[in-house]
Amino acid sequence: MRMRSRTTVSWVAVLSAFLAVAASAAPAGAQAKPIRIGEINSYSGLATVYTFPYREGIAMATKEINDAGGVLGRPLEFIFRDDKLKPDEAVKAARELVGQEKVDFLAGCISSGVGLAISAYAKEAKTLYFATHCQTSRLTWDDGHRYVAHTTNNVNQYIRALAKKAAATPYKKWAHISPDYEYGHNVWEEFIAYLKQLKPDVQVVQQNWPKLGETDHSSYVTALLQSGAEAMLSVVWGAQEIAFIKQARPFGLFDKVKLFSASVGNPDELDPLGKEAPLGAVTPGFAWYDDGMQKRHPKLAEWVKKYEARVKKEPTLGASWGYASTYIIAEAIKRAKSSDTDKVIAVLGEGYEMEFPWGKVIMRGCDMQAIPPQWTGVLKTNAQGKPVLGDIEESHGKDLIKSCDEVAKLRAAAGEKKK
Amino acid sequence: MDFVTGLFPWITNGPLITVQVMSGLSVGMLLFLVSVGMSLIFGVTRIVNLAHGSFYMVGAYLMVTLVEVLPAQEWAFWAALLLAPFGVAALGGIIEIGLLRLIYRRDPLMQLILTFGLILVIGTLVLLAWGPDNKSVSRPDALAGSVRILGQPFPSYYLLVLGLAPVVAVTLWLIFYRTRWGMLIRAATVDREMLGALGVNVARLYTQVFMFGSWLAGLGGALAAPTVAVALGMDGDVLTTAFVVVVIGGLGSFAGTFISALLVGLLQSFGILIFPAVSIVLLFAIMAVVLIVRPWGLLGRPEE
Repeated sequence: MRMRSRTTVSWVAVLSAFLAVAASAAPAGAQAKPIRIGEINSYSGLATVYTFPYREGIAMATKEINDAGGVLGRPLEFIFRDDKLKPDEAVKAARELVGQEKVDFLAGCISSGVGLAISAYAKEAKTLYFATHCQTSRLTWDDGHRYVAHTTNNVNQYIRALAKKAAATPYKKWAHISPDYEYGHNVWEEFIAYLKQLKPDVQVVQQNWPKLGETDHSSYVTALLQSGAEAMLSVVWGAQEIAFIKQARPFGLFDKVKLFSASVGNPDELDPLGKEAPLGAVTPGFAWYDDGMQKRHPKLAEWVKKYEARVKKEPTLGASWGYASTYIIAEAIKRAKSSDTDKVIAVLGEGYEMEFPWGKVIMRGCDMQAIPPQWTGVLKTNAQGKPVLGDIEESHGKDLIKSCDEVAKLRAAAGEKKK
Repeated sequence: MDFVTGLFPWITNGPLITVQVMSGLSVGMLLFLVSVGMSLIFGVTRIVNLAHGSFYMVGAYLMVTLVEVLPAQEWAFWAALLLAPFGVAALGGIIEIGLLRLIYRRDPLMQLILTFGLILVIGTLVLLAWGPDNKSVSRPDALAGSVRILGQPFPSYYLLVLGLAPVVAVTLWLIFYRTRWGMLIRAATVDREMLGALGVNVARLYTQVFMFGSWLAGLGGALAAPTVAVALGMDGDVLTTAFVVVVIGGLGSFAGTFISALLVGLLQSFGILIFPAVSIVLLFAIMAVVLIVRPWGLLGRPEE
């Protein structure tokens, strides 16, 4: 007994010494109560290729904001949780963040399914949720409500930019390969609907719906070769699109069928593809390295330099989204002059605009949806022989996105369906 | 007949079907390499190694690293292909000696939990070691393009797969049926206790078999690397399919695994052409049918 009590005493001593050190180590300036944001995203497994740079973007913006005195004199603090790409894990984390951590807001999501699940929880818990990385248009449209804001691009905008470019080409017979889940269907349907609207004589000659994460695409390649299509849209992404392209190239698919892709222009695909990149493919992407981009956006080069100095890696679209989302959230709180949920929602409902190193982002009031610039380009090799996005065409989401009236109709229709 | 050709316009296209069969077989061969290791480990040690897909992933990642660090010569690819599987075998050896040995006599559920835990641990270690970025291995220049088969282009890299996997299969057969070690393995799948009683060092045999199974998974991963993206998550994809192959073929049956791997490869290849909408379900439907008709698999032995 004596032994045990002595050990307990020494443990208490060690613990209190530790706490004393920890308390004295806290910076003197951080006495104001921080504004806490619970951030739920996929920080293990296959999505980390996107979420790690995204988290760096958040960290960079948070540091800038806090170094400049924080928001309303209070530091901004993100509390990160891993959702393991699963909606139920995400909701569990959201519940813990709101219930135990007492966060002021929720943020996060890379998977559309996860985003919709957190959004449903936010509505029920009356906690404002900023969807920051997933892209389904349903978030703020069909399934929109007053407790969800979307701080990044949605599918509708960037895929319309791509469809507009497709409409300017002579191709009439189209096929596609899209992963068989929420995002895949969302992208293909938005693309073909807008393309047909711009060019009524377009026809779909063949469709491919592999499962998400399929690794063997040779049969789809054969089917596409036989389809008689002149052009195709690839909606598969990340590792799956790399596999698809590597398997399709030796069959000469892209010599026969012009490739349009929703995501091949991102570095997470272009870098590993290297000399196997499908040059000539038309695709959206964040080409910060492009001369024209840097000329149009004089502050972009400096931002890239700052990011690279911090992270020791080139930035990605995800990094820019983490960065922008943090500022968009901070701006809403600043305008509301409070971290009170209802006041921040009121500010978001009025809408506002912000300038970023890559252009203007509009936070639209009617659906609390971000409207950023859109870029579409063509895959080329640069002087070092590396595949890059070239011939960048810049447009703005505001000239492409569905109007507030159309959104109201979508919400009404979705409401009807639920009844 | 008109009805059939109307429904499947490719059915009269001989060259197309040939190419489709060949790519289906290539996929099947890769599957065989992974599955036979899993089947072998189960046959001898009675452990369903859920981490087998993780070994495949590590094989692919080692391939990436080896191709990077070796001089940029044509032979680097071949050297990497030779070395990467041995790295995985070493990993398998460490895991067998350090962890699995402790639980052979425990409840099978414990073994499942342990190997499932290994999936998470290895997945995290791979993320820490290689980072989150997708990786890729280029095919060697000689096999980068395609050859014409009956006028249809066919990726020449698949010819390597088509050639190499049968060599491995034949070698395996020779090992199993023509060597003493193979005889011990076959004996172990029938009666482990008796083998131990006859003075065979069963513990060492288990380690060897586990390393050999890991080596096969690593070879599958290394050989598949140039045809896919080397990325986190490739462990889960292959595990599901390999598991189906092993179950259809019969757990622990070498020939059964070979037949069922090729069957599954062809099924995936033609399933998409014939029933695009249900091609995902098809695989599991076949497995269900096999399990109903022959619960022990095509060439497996019924449990006594």
